[in-house]
Amino acid sequence: MTTIALDCMGGDHGPQEAVAGAAALSIERPDLHTILVGDAAQIGPLLDSMTYDPARLSVRHTPHFVGPEDVPREALAAHPDVSIAEACELVAEGRASAVVTAGSTGAAILAAARRLGRIPGVRRAALAAVTPTEQRHGPHGDPFALLLDVGATLNVSSRDLVTFAIMGSAYAAAISGNDRPRVALLSNGTESHKGPPEVVAAHAVLAELGEIEFAGNVEGLDIPRGSVDVVVTGGFIGNVVLKMLEGIGEVIADLASDAYARKFLWRLGLTMLSSGIKQIEAVMDWESYGGAPILGFCQPVIKAHGRSRSGAIANACKVAAKAARSDMVRTVERAVARLPVPEEEEVGS
Amino acid sequence: MSEWGHVYRWDLDKTYLDTRFEKLSRMVKIAFESAEEKVNVPGAAALLRELSSETAGFSPARVTIVSGSPTQMRKVLEEKLALDGITWHEFHLKPQWKNIRRGRFRAIRDQVGYKLPLLLRSRTKISQEVKETLFGDDAEADAFIYSLYADIVAGRVDDQEMVRVMKAVGAYADAIEACHRSLRTLEFARSDAVERVFIMLDKSTPPAFFGPFGSRVVPVFNYFQAALVLFADGHLDARSVITVTQAFLEADQHTPEELANLFQDVVRRGHLPAHAMQELGMAVQDEEDTPPQTREVVWACVQRFVDLADERRYDPPKPPEMDYFAILEHMKKH
Repeated sequence: MTTIALDCMGGDHGPQEAVAGAAALSIERPDLHTILVGDAAQIGPLLDSMTYDPARLSVRHTPHFVGPEDVPREALAAHPDVSIAEACELVAEGRASAVVTAGSTGAAILAAARRLGRIPGVRRAALAAVTPTEQRHGPHGDPFALLLDVGATLNVSSRDLVTFAIMGSAYAAAISGNDRPRVALLSNGTESHKGPPEVVAAHAVLAELGEIEFAGNVEGLDIPRGSVDVVVTGGFIGNVVLKMLEGIGEVIADLASDAYARKFLWRLGLTMLSSGIKQIEAVMDWESYGGAPILGFCQPVIKAHGRSRSGAIANACKVAAKAARSDMVRTVERAVARLPVPEEEEVGS
Repeated sequence: MSEWGHVYRWDLDKTYLDTRFEKLSRMVKIAFESAEEKVNVPGAAALLRELSSETAGFSPARVTIVSGSPTQMRKVLEEKLALDGITWHEFHLKPQWKNIRRGRFRAIRDQVGYKLPLLLRSRTKISQEVKETLFGDDAEADAFIYSLYADIVAGRVDDQEMVRVMKAVGAYADAIEACHRSLRTLEFARSDAVERVFIMLDKSTPPAFFGPFGSRVVPVFNYFQAALVLFADGHLDARSVITVTQAFLEADQHTPEELANLFQDVVRRGHLPAHAMQELGMAVQDEEDTPPQTREVVWACVQRFVDLADERRYDPPKPPEMDYFAILEHMKKH
């Protein structure tokens, strides 16, 4: 049985959706055990009003949590036992194998760094996101690719980009069953000399490394096309790209509903296209992807969207279990150990 | 009259026997099953054996079975109980064929009009100081019937209210009259005779559904949870709890972690006092031949207990002010 530590308190909907997701999972997946971390006084009555299997659920009480308005560092300093820290602690103690949270990303990174530690050789964490793509990926034909980092590390070095590429490759292999995912760096041209210095330097290292299936550079338009399985960039650019993709998706949906309301002919056209639109909606539905990993820590940490409903939480727990059962962390560790020692370290040593 | 230390009343289908007859084909199969083919609800046989065994220091227990199964199944059911090593003192089955013959079609489904008169009649044979623990499930109206029975015996529900409730559930006049007859001879208990009502959550009904029945009713997901509460109530010793625990670990393939989760669930819901856990833990440690896996269960339980920190509560089995008509509405809504 794989045990997941679920931070129930951080999401926009409070513990309600997290508890509902875990309750549903306890019935659906007898191979998983979820520890509900948070205020037992709130979690208990919610759980009791649902259908659940108590053999696959338990509660770890802590009254404190990092709210949406809190500054993560301050919140953790004020209450070291906030729910995300307790969830990480359960993993550190060996009682759980992965952490899932819909709460603050900053708090998750901070808590994971303190309680779980980084994989040896990994200096910065990377937040990954799945983005819907035109092309399918891996043996299961997944309609999405992995984009990282989307906001954990704003200033990246070439070495950070290289480790992100290794981590993204290992995660995609573990979750999608794709033995050799194609990994590329995001740049302003496909040529190896294009892009800022850290991208050019990372390209040179990855081209020589041979640990992963490096596909060179890709441009922004390749992300929705899905020409590679993993796109690597720094947290600043990655976050802008992710938000832009989300924004475009929402604008298209708004335009379509506006068109539906305005003209009969457009309504007719949209109705005829409805099955196709539903397929697009299914591909764009982030709830079905089950959260994104924060990579770089010694145990898997999955960040579910703050607005996650129960289904998304349950999917995030399934992804976490899959990551925990895989050899992802060891794979990253082995690959990072083979990296050439960076110049700045050589100077310092 | 007072030779009994305690009375355990059990339902059979879905409480003791794993009888899932949602499909007609399964129902037919169950009707023709031999005693050897019948399957128990996990832990039920082990628990009932422990409860009815003659332990030094405990007065003998009286086991009463009131089942909705038809009388035609008596032979096979008695054989099954004998195979499980269960000794019973009363065994009632529902005269379904008689109901059909007499055109009493409401009675085929009605459980209140069937079980309540039998429970009350049985109570007339026992002296007032003898306490009871009742076992039912969430498939029928067991929580309702048992609570009503408990309140009638305790004198909280008078005969007029009893009649109104029985009429509300569509009980036949002869069933109501049978209850009246028992009430006339019933020696009213000075205190609550019914200590606990265990409801096996066969249909996975959310436990909160039973909130209106108060803390006397304990919804349980399996009989390991019931064994823990019965230990706290003083009806099982540590040795018996170990036996029931082993039944779950061996026959039903539960892991120590799963049992610890079940333990935490019953603590979290307020049915198990902290001191019981401590006493049980110490007693298990003291038992020299405690199997290693049971020790693992105890250790995992301690961990789950600590996990709840100060969010542990205990609600002693207190009967609430019951509005049976409101509860009927509550049950209809679900």
